[in-house]
Amino acid sequence: MGLRSFVALPLDKEGTVIRLFFEHALEADYDQLTTNVAYGISNNQTLFLSESYRFSGASGQRFGDVSMLYRHIIWQDDYLTGTNRLGLLGGIIIPTADEREMAIQTGFVFTHFSNRYEIDIDGLYQTGINSRPDSGRFDVSWQYRLFPAEYPDWGMSSELYAVIEYNGRWKEGNSLTHQLTTGLQWVQQSWVIEGGAVRTCSRSDINSII
Amino acid sequence: MTIMKIFRLLILVFLVLQLQSAWSRTVEIDVHGMTCAFCVDGLERKFRQMKAVSKVQVSLKLKKVRLVTEENQPDLATLKQAVIDAGFTPTKISILSNEKN
Repeated sequence: MGLRSFVALPLDKEGTVIRLFFEHALEADYDQLTTNVAYGISNNQTLFLSESYRFSGASGQRFGDVSMLYRHIIWQDDYLTGTNRLGLLGGIIIPTADEREMAIQTGFVFTHFSNRYEIDIDGLYQTGINSRPDSGRFDVSWQYRLFPAEYPDWGMSSELYAVIEYNGRWKEGNSLTHQLTTGLQWVQQSWVIEGGAVRTCSRSDINSII
Repeated sequence: MTIMKIFRLLILVFLVLQLQSAWSRTVEIDVHGMTCAFCVDGLERKFRQMKAVSKVQVSLKLKKVRLVTEENQPDLATLKQAVIDAGFTPTKISILSNEKN
């Protein structure tokens, strides 16, 4: 799974994953916590809920809009050393402020996993209702397992992954922003700690820490 | 009389122990699509929640799950479905052994 990208890997039926995402934006000078909850409706259907809270910055403390996203895996090719999966994404954005409108989201996510590396590719378009501007995003994420080089015969071990991503973010009226994200993931069986840095490709300084 | 009572008691204990002794089996499932430890956590938890399963081992290296279960429960179709419900593909199920405890 990527740092900022979506993933098409499975969530077990009736399983739940909670992901807390903290961002410290250096240039824009704000701190934001996003809570993401994923629920496995079935082995190939997952519901994602996301809500962010900005607790510092020029615009003050405020809740972001709620995102509801449904992922349906339409193609799955499992083999001994990994898997290929393609999922379709669809959902809505529910505003938490009266001055903001809703949006409809559609997109896709593809995951290729083999041996020690994983590639995730996603695209999501958000069509704004009424006065809300359209927006979109894409991510290409590559992860490589640094440790262990080889798994034990039986049982789970801790895992360390390096992550590098190419992210694109766009909002109607603005040009596409190209970003590079790099980071590490420390993976245990039931929890993950991850962190990284985001940089706009046209600049040398870091935009935010995640 | 006392000896007879003791004898009957011993027979009763023997019968109770016989009823409680059970067969167990070791089942191995080959699974395709397993990726990282976090991703297979749901699969392991599903098996651990089954009453008739006493031991669960997962191998990301060999791409297998090994279970110690009661003799006839859960049935193999249930085990196969558990792997599917976790989002993976079971390719082969083997009974490695059947033992009396």
